[in-house]
Amino acid sequence: MPFRISVDTGGTFTDVVVTDAAGRFTIGKALTDRQRAFASIEAGLAVAAAQLGTAAAALLADTAMFLYGTTRATNGIVERKTARTAFLTTAGFPDILLLKEGGKAEPHNLQMEYPDPYIPRRYTFEVPERINAEGGVESVLDETAVRRVLETFPRRGIEAVAVCLLWSIANPAHELRVGELIAKILPKLPFTLSHQLNPILREYRRASSTAIDASLKPLMQKYLSDLETDLRRAGYANDILVSTSFGGVMHLADVVKRPIYLVKSGPAMAPIAGLAYVEAEGLPNNVIVCDAGGTTFDVSLVRDGAVEYSRDTWLGPQWTGDNLGMASVAVHSIGAGGGSIAWVDSGGLLRVGPQSAGSEPGPACYGRGGDYPTVTDAAVVLGYFDPAHFLGGRMTLDEAAARRVIKGVADALGQTLERAAWAVVAVASENMIQAIKELTINEGIDPSDSALIGGGGAGGLNIVPIAQELGCRTVLGPRTAGALSASGMQFSDIITEAGASKLTASDDFDFAGVNRALVDIENRLEEFADRLRARGFKDLEKRYFVEARYRFQVWELEINVPGSRFANQAQIEALVHEFHRVHERVFAVHDENNAVEFLNWRGRLIAKVNAPTLEPTKALATREAAPDRMRRCYFGNAQVDTAIYLGDKLPVGAIVNGPAIIEEDTSTLVIYPGAIARVSPGGRYLVTPPQENQR
Amino acid sequence: MNVKQTPPPTREFDPILMAVLANRLNAIVREMANTLLKTARSAVLAVVRDFSCSIVTGDNRLLCPGEGLPVHIFGSSLQSQSMCDLHDDLAPGDAFLHNDPYLGNTHPADHMIMVPVFIDGVHLFTTCAKAHQADCGNSIPSTYHAYAKDIYEEGALIFPCVRVQKNFQDVNDIIRMCKRRIRVPEQWYGDYLAEIGSARIGERRLIELTKRYGIETIQAFTEQWLSYSERRMVDAIKKMAPGKLSNTTVYDPLPPILPDGLPIRVDIAVDPTAGYIDVDLTHNADNMAFGLNESVACATSNAMCGVFNCMDPDVPHNAGSFARVRVHLRDGCITGVPKFPHSVSMATTNIGDRIVNVTQAAFAAIGDGHGLAEGAIGMGAGAGVISGLDWRRDGPFINQEWLITNGGPATPTTDGWLNYGLPVAAGLMYRGSVEVDESKYPILVKHLRVIAGGGGAGRFRGAPGSELVYGPRHDPMTVVISCDGQVNPPQGVRGGHAGPPAATYKLKRDGSAEKLPGVVECRLEPGEWVQGFDAGGGGYGSPLERDPARVCRDVLERWETVPRAHDIYGVVLTGSADDDSLAVDVNATAARREVLAR
Repeated sequence: MPFRISVDTGGTFTDVVVTDAAGRFTIGKALTDRQRAFASIEAGLAVAAAQLGTAAAALLADTAMFLYGTTRATNGIVERKTARTAFLTTAGFPDILLLKEGGKAEPHNLQMEYPDPYIPRRYTFEVPERINAEGGVESVLDETAVRRVLETFPRRGIEAVAVCLLWSIANPAHELRVGELIAKILPKLPFTLSHQLNPILREYRRASSTAIDASLKPLMQKYLSDLETDLRRAGYANDILVSTSFGGVMHLADVVKRPIYLVKSGPAMAPIAGLAYVEAEGLPNNVIVCDAGGTTFDVSLVRDGAVEYSRDTWLGPQWTGDNLGMASVAVHSIGAGGGSIAWVDSGGLLRVGPQSAGSEPGPACYGRGGDYPTVTDAAVVLGYFDPAHFLGGRMTLDEAAARRVIKGVADALGQTLERAAWAVVAVASENMIQAIKELTINEGIDPSDSALIGGGGAGGLNIVPIAQELGCRTVLGPRTAGALSASGMQFSDIITEAGASKLTASDDFDFAGVNRALVDIENRLEEFADRLRARGFKDLEKRYFVEARYRFQVWELEINVPGSRFANQAQIEALVHEFHRVHERVFAVHDENNAVEFLNWRGRLIAKVNAPTLEPTKALATREAAPDRMRRCYFGNAQVDTAIYLGDKLPVGAIVNGPAIIEEDTSTLVIYPGAIARVSPGGRYLVTPPQENQR
Repeated sequence: MNVKQTPPPTREFDPILMAVLANRLNAIVREMANTLLKTARSAVLAVVRDFSCSIVTGDNRLLCPGEGLPVHIFGSSLQSQSMCDLHDDLAPGDAFLHNDPYLGNTHPADHMIMVPVFIDGVHLFTTCAKAHQADCGNSIPSTYHAYAKDIYEEGALIFPCVRVQKNFQDVNDIIRMCKRRIRVPEQWYGDYLAEIGSARIGERRLIELTKRYGIETIQAFTEQWLSYSERRMVDAIKKMAPGKLSNTTVYDPLPPILPDGLPIRVDIAVDPTAGYIDVDLTHNADNMAFGLNESVACATSNAMCGVFNCMDPDVPHNAGSFARVRVHLRDGCITGVPKFPHSVSMATTNIGDRIVNVTQAAFAAIGDGHGLAEGAIGMGAGAGVISGLDWRRDGPFINQEWLITNGGPATPTTDGWLNYGLPVAAGLMYRGSVEVDESKYPILVKHLRVIAGGGGAGRFRGAPGSELVYGPRHDPMTVVISCDGQVNPPQGVRGGHAGPPAATYKLKRDGSAEKLPGVVECRLEPGEWVQGFDAGGGGYGSPLERDPARVCRDVLERWETVPRAHDIYGVVLTGSADDDSLAVDVNATAARREVLAR
């Protein structure tokens, strides 16, 4: 069982990465099939298998682990193409999702449209019941009223139900009963109960996660179960692990119950790859990771050697987007990529995106009926993509089609064909630069302190001018750039969490109660651990955390808990000391005289997956560096003779001076005039942008 | 060790670095705000964010207001100025407590903490954290004392910029004074620590920033950034038509002091040639023996806020752009300058809110596309200060609720913002959470829902408010409410309708409802409830010009009602919202609108 397969299904391409026992990476890429994920996986696998001298079926049969990520859930939310979901809420409180938590950006800008709630108000239904803060019943659940509401659902075309009642976290009885009634009256309707999904205080956040989770269930449960069926049918018998927004992977059977974890699945893996690469290269550990696919451009960060997380995750803008209600890897996405469509607006201004030609029909040069000018078509006109050598020669591009559609843009702008193509790439770059600035400069992070990683099939097209504009001194181009997120999965751990609520305080610590909660968490993690051990995972680690606050505070800080049992007062004092220390570090003050309250206890099981080693292969060191051929490419104002190199023929230490193009099977790295690329000992490209424009 | 700053060198500044540093300051202020939010203990701070953080230069020019509440921000530099004037021995490790409204503060309930930031012995910045306290030692259990005839009756403890930390340690004399007089002292001390933490985090980050880029670069940036901001403001004013505008709004009656209410007038002069806007508030009544007088900081901030609400929002907000708006006040005037010992207990809101409204609505007279309608006013039941005993903790509680919605004003291009709060907060404050409020205070919220048809009609409509009912659970509770907008609701502009007025009721055990006056101290027994209706924002333009498709969608999504669509908007609908079949009858609508237009 030497192989591990990771797959990332994006909006346009499906990336497949296969690693063998020696840690060698083989990449396959295929256009994404919107109907059935496995169709494109199979196509990508076939490409990889051919390189390994085998067939897809044989490869699958010889694979120990299958890792999977997809942007399907995120795209569904962004495009509002999730299920028609009903929101059941406590009577008297219909507007929790509409009012959110208040707050807005731009103090003096009142000319902003107030955002729509995640679930329209016409699909919001009030349930007569009320529980109070201590879990007491203020008014009993009116089951007849619930039945009456549920019975209207088939007629109204409701496809999923989100149930979030006030104080269900203190007493879940009413939510559970509503769940039973749904299961009984509408047995096929998927639903989510807020206290089971995300037992946190604050009705908006809990309701929002519940609404998002429920709305994804019909779509993602079918999607993932189809994938599993197809994989089993194709002869794969081992673990299927799915990448989650926590930056780890989970077993498919676990994630299918909680599709909210699939938000940012895939893109959350790109910074994991970025971290692995800079560590292997010994580069400074601040990295901006860009991943440009066909449809979206994702930016994520590694700061001081750690992947950047956001505790407060908004899908869309802060305050006015939809709150995920839980932490996730910080990923900023915009609609920009190889498939982005270029158009000229009514004022004569050239615009690129956010509309994308996707994979069906795709850019005009794909020859699948696409008739819109895209960034990829512009790259063909400029000579960066060689029609005969695209995707390692497996796909022939229709150059005439590319020239035809870009000609339309050129005519509208009154420019030459090449100038227009150059402008399309420049405008796309500008959009990407803005996206990077939002995550860096807007947070006060100077991008010139970081290395830039250009990932994605279209990432290498313009990563050098982007770096130049941002003042980044180093661009790292991994040879696996074409499949960055899928590569990241190869380095990711299996992460599972379990939690329990137990409120106690340092001045009256409930040893028995806390230990019961910790035992419960430990048992649940152990169940997981047993299954993982049975599957051959040996390197398991459990960590414990607690959310704590000073008495009367409202928000909690998370601190480490050293073990899973408390036996004596000295341990409590150590925990309180740790809280004071963390509070002082994060907030610059602590309060020695105040009791500390402990609320939510959490355990995390981390199963180390044997990540591939990232040593250079010896074969690379012996080859000669010579261009494969010369081509005429256009850079800004003229056609120039440009050396085209094949990536797998470039030895370690080779220097490539721009203008040049390095072709990999699944990506293309354009070295602009004045830039210099060097092949690192790790076999990656380190590009220095043109110096004269450096700050 | 107060060393004078050396004048910074002038040189061309790298535009990318300028953007990096300007955003870095914003990020520092955001981190200060996050610290205050996450560590505070009263819900008015920890949940609702009734506080603001800012960075002022060592020579007292507002450099970065972050996304603080406009009413809190414009005056930060007045307070840092008094710190420099009163103390010639500023040193690292100092922190000052300042809530004196006659020395630049907004009103006594806002406790400002200021930390002078020293780098290489130079006082380069002052970090400011201003927070509305749950209690400030007033003679009544509310931080808002409408009927206080002077500062003595008001009763707040006043700190005219006193040193509250030396060498990073509390000056315990001051802490003990506060703990003796402020209700629920442990809550106050926690909130105080949150403010100190916020100012200290800002101090740490500014020191790191200056070490990273060097003192000269930072000083050069400061000058360039302020002059860039001023240039942007001049450019914005140069695009406006010259002219004089005058507008009046009427504050609700407040018997016996204001039996007929109080007109609030503003006169504005726009001078595009010179690049200045002058706002004159001097034609208003003299100070009165109540708590509604404006402080200098509030009057200036609120007039500025009304102006900036009508300008390009991309103009940076700092001392550079503020220099181009001149606000004229008069000694002994109700809209500032207050004559001691007149009380300014409620300067941040009530009349303050009216100043924002009257100013932004004045600009609508320029023509279509200009100005804004009036936004909802009044801190009704949802913003009441509740106090009493919590049997669950066997102790007292006090806090200002923030479960109001108060609809925002319609604009020339959009409907009003729903979570508006007040003109002086402009949607920036967070909402209270029903669950957090019920866990921290012994209340039960019966319902909270947005009112259908609750916004002023117009081509763009004002946002609706919400209706709220809550009450005590086991023990009696006092609610102090200081509402406006119950008699004179927010006005529409350019043919837009006024929003509905606010209202407060006491719901008794026998099921009857008693209408309460705007300003009231109300005691509720268990089984009794207080009910509040928010005001809605005013509309912009005639409702007959509103896109019928938008009206249809409003009804479908419960913003509007079928009768209002028919009677006010002249839109005839067919089908039903219950089965998604609602649609506009185009011909009937055209006919109906013709009738209404006559």
